[in-house]
Amino acid sequence: MTREESRPRDLLALARELLRRADPLTAGLWPRVSALLALRAVETSVSRLWDQRALPLQSCPMRVQLICLRSYLDDGVLVARAAHAWSALNRACHHHPYELAPTAAELESWFLVVDELTAKLA
Amino acid sequence: MSVEGAWGSLVLAALEGREGLEGALTGTGGAAPKAVAARPSPAPAGAFLHSIAVEGFRGIGPARTLALRPGPGLTLVVGRNGSGKSSFAEALEVLLTGDSLRWSERAAVWREGWRNLHHSATSVTATFLVEGQSGPCVVSRGWEPDAALEAGAASAQLPGQATADLTSLGWTSALRTHRPFLSYNELGSLLDEGPSKLYDALSSILGLEDLVLAQGALQEARRSREKALKDATDARGRLLERLIGTDDPRAQQVTKAIEGKEWDLAAVDEVLAGAAEPGVAAAEIDVLRGVAALEPPAPERVAAAVAEIRAAAVGLREAQGTAAARSRDAAALLDLALRFHTAHGDGDCPVCGSSKALNKAWGTRQRDAVVRLREAAHEADAAHGRAEAARRLWEDLVPLKGDGLRRAAEVGLELGELVDALGTWVKAGAISSLDELADHLAAASGPLGKAIVRLRDSARAELGRKEDVWRPVATEAAAWLASAREAMQGAGDLKRLKAAEAWLKKAAAGIRDDRFAPIAEKAASIWEHLRQQSHVELGRIQLTGEGTRRRVALDVTVDGIAGAALGVMSQGELHSLALSLFVPRATLPESPFRFIVIDDPVQSMDPARVDGLARVLEAASTDRQVVVFTHDDRLPEAVRRLDVAAEIVEVARREASVVDLRQALDPVGRYLEDALAVAGTADLPSPAAARVVPGLCRLAVEAVCMDVARRRRLGRGEPYAEVERTLGAAQGSLPLLALALFDDAARVKEVLPRVQRDSGPEMAETLRQLGDSAGGVDAERAVDLVRRTSRLAAWLRGLT
Repeated sequence: MTREESRPRDLLALARELLRRADPLTAGLWPRVSALLALRAVETSVSRLWDQRALPLQSCPMRVQLICLRSYLDDGVLVARAAHAWSALNRACHHHPYELAPTAAELESWFLVVDELTAKLA
Repeated sequence: MSVEGAWGSLVLAALEGREGLEGALTGTGGAAPKAVAARPSPAPAGAFLHSIAVEGFRGIGPARTLALRPGPGLTLVVGRNGSGKSSFAEALEVLLTGDSLRWSERAAVWREGWRNLHHSATSVTATFLVEGQSGPCVVSRGWEPDAALEAGAASAQLPGQATADLTSLGWTSALRTHRPFLSYNELGSLLDEGPSKLYDALSSILGLEDLVLAQGALQEARRSREKALKDATDARGRLLERLIGTDDPRAQQVTKAIEGKEWDLAAVDEVLAGAAEPGVAAAEIDVLRGVAALEPPAPERVAAAVAEIRAAAVGLREAQGTAAARSRDAAALLDLALRFHTAHGDGDCPVCGSSKALNKAWGTRQRDAVVRLREAAHEADAAHGRAEAARRLWEDLVPLKGDGLRRAAEVGLELGELVDALGTWVKAGAISSLDELADHLAAASGPLGKAIVRLRDSARAELGRKEDVWRPVATEAAAWLASAREAMQGAGDLKRLKAAEAWLKKAAAGIRDDRFAPIAEKAASIWEHLRQQSHVELGRIQLTGEGTRRRVALDVTVDGIAGAALGVMSQGELHSLALSLFVPRATLPESPFRFIVIDDPVQSMDPARVDGLARVLEAASTDRQVVVFTHDDRLPEAVRRLDVAAEIVEVARREASVVDLRQALDPVGRYLEDALAVAGTADLPSPAAARVVPGLCRLAVEAVCMDVARRRRLGRGEPYAEVERTLGAAQGSLPLLALALFDDAARVKEVLPRVQRDSGPEMAETLRQLGDSAGGVDAERAVDLVRRTSRLAAWLRGLT
């Protein structure tokens, strides 16, 4: 991921936009697409932290990165919530048999956590 | 006494129960009311679950023990449907409440299948750690091979004491009020069974039984009095009808006394006692009674009178013509002459005409003569006096005088014969000859006596006739009088009773609301977690109404529209709501149970709600031991994902009901698993490894130390709050290790030597590495460090 890529905040704004705007083009797609955007926002902001700390953890599995994040952020509860939001978003981005796409309210509750995390890491 | 005081004392008396209230109302209960029993102390000795051993019950064949970590925390027991996990939950409930009626109400299918088919012996044993008891309390229930479910023999044994029955635990009422069990069935039925059942389930925890009983006593006292009054009023109507149809003056009198709104019971009493005040109607009975009591002139008295008259006549005749009679006459004549002389002075004699015969000397002479003559006449006077007295004797023999006759005539008695006889009798007054008088009386007394007897008999007959009509009415009136007296006395209490009842009702509602408020609040906040995307909003929860109209009012709004019924909620929402109400009830401080057992709360819940449930369980497990049995992995998954500290036990059932229990994951395991995930990552930068891996390993060691210390201290009966305080005060790995090793957080310096001695140099080295945050653990050795920490944790866990 490079610098030219969107900033986490922009990614999240785009995800919200999709959630709110009724667009025939995105009909039916928006839950998974906006989840994907939010997922990238988490990953990007965590990745930026490793950049700043000069720790080449970006290539490690996200689960490991989030475990490590506990040791580098003084807010354990936020990290736990972020880990939950990340795994929920990740789940929503993949197809699971018998599982429905998340609702707008569910997505919005995860976005709020992502907001907090990106603000903390910014 | 003021009005308020008057009913205030009734409220106090009602709190003493029915007898106390009646005593206060009748004034016999003079003793001061005893203090109303205080609510049970807010924090009874808390009990944690230590283990549940089950044999031959439901899905469990050979004996299996589910060991639990005593102390607050969340334990998930996971297993497929039919794996036997619910059998543990049910076994525990049967163990503690097996005598209760609840079980006999279960479906026949359940009741017939409660024994395990593959195993003949059936028993359930659970151990608890109870505050203040050093060592586990053992509670067990066993069944004879063919015994019914209710016929199991239960016993409880506190450490160091003889085996006793279950009641020795003192949990009987708490099991009802703070039921620490909630099954899937109950989740569904809690709201289905009707609003009054839910009300009972929730209100029993509020400790308002005293007030409810007092209200009942007041209500009963009021009702019994109202009923007595109504009965007396109804009976009065019947009595009045009877009285009006009764031809008796007393009936009229009683009618007059009770026909008005105010009943003159004293007057009724008087009439019935036969002492009615003189009045026209009552006098009739009196007159009849008087006549009925008449006696004819007694023949011997008549004979005596007649004899006396005759004797007097003889005496009189004998006195006449004697000197005595002459002297009496002469004395009378001289008396007259002397009075003439005194009045008219000296002069001629008016009788013989002798001139100047009346003078002073004459007067003196004649006065002396009169004295002499009178002495001589005394005998004649006596005879005359006797004759005069005898002449009146007939008067006393007449038994009925003019007034009496008139009254007797007024009451309709036939008097003709008596009047004739009396007419003849009183002619005696006109007879001057004593002999004739005697003859007259002797002749007239017979007919007079007969007439009197006849009148008397007719009066008696009339009186008897009236009594025959009156007596049954009087009996009825007397019976009514007794009940009316009681009713009137009770009616006097009604006003006070009603005031007391109204006040207590209001006061009880206030207390009820106050005590319920925190529970309602907690329930609402749990619902907030559980409802997730539900459009159903839960507002105020209130216990309202009373008697048969008692219910739990749930202020439910759907999409902002108020007044929605429970009917609009989905099954999952209803379960969530039931859970919201159950958890606060089961976790009140006054419950002795520090554990709650929930069987299958996840069924029919949406995935998102499962996350909420995990949060709710996490919150409850901060100060409660929460044991959840669940059949699918959604809850364990959510717990893992949300990083909720929990222990997970898997239950698997092999052939022939052999149940396997496996510790799946606990917080210690979770830390170690995370540490291993990081340590095992390829290309892990060494600085990150040095920082993250030892940290997670340290957390694992600290968690296991806490477990060890908590189990030990709770096991010897230390109060739960104190244990948590001790653990909270021990900050850092070394104090916690000291607590686990020496039961003393201050002995940090002895930790390393002890580990070195008892567990070997490798473990001591591991400990040193964990404490060294400056690095020294590179990526290559990180995995090794996690492995060694696992061994250290296992060794620590084995400490007692």
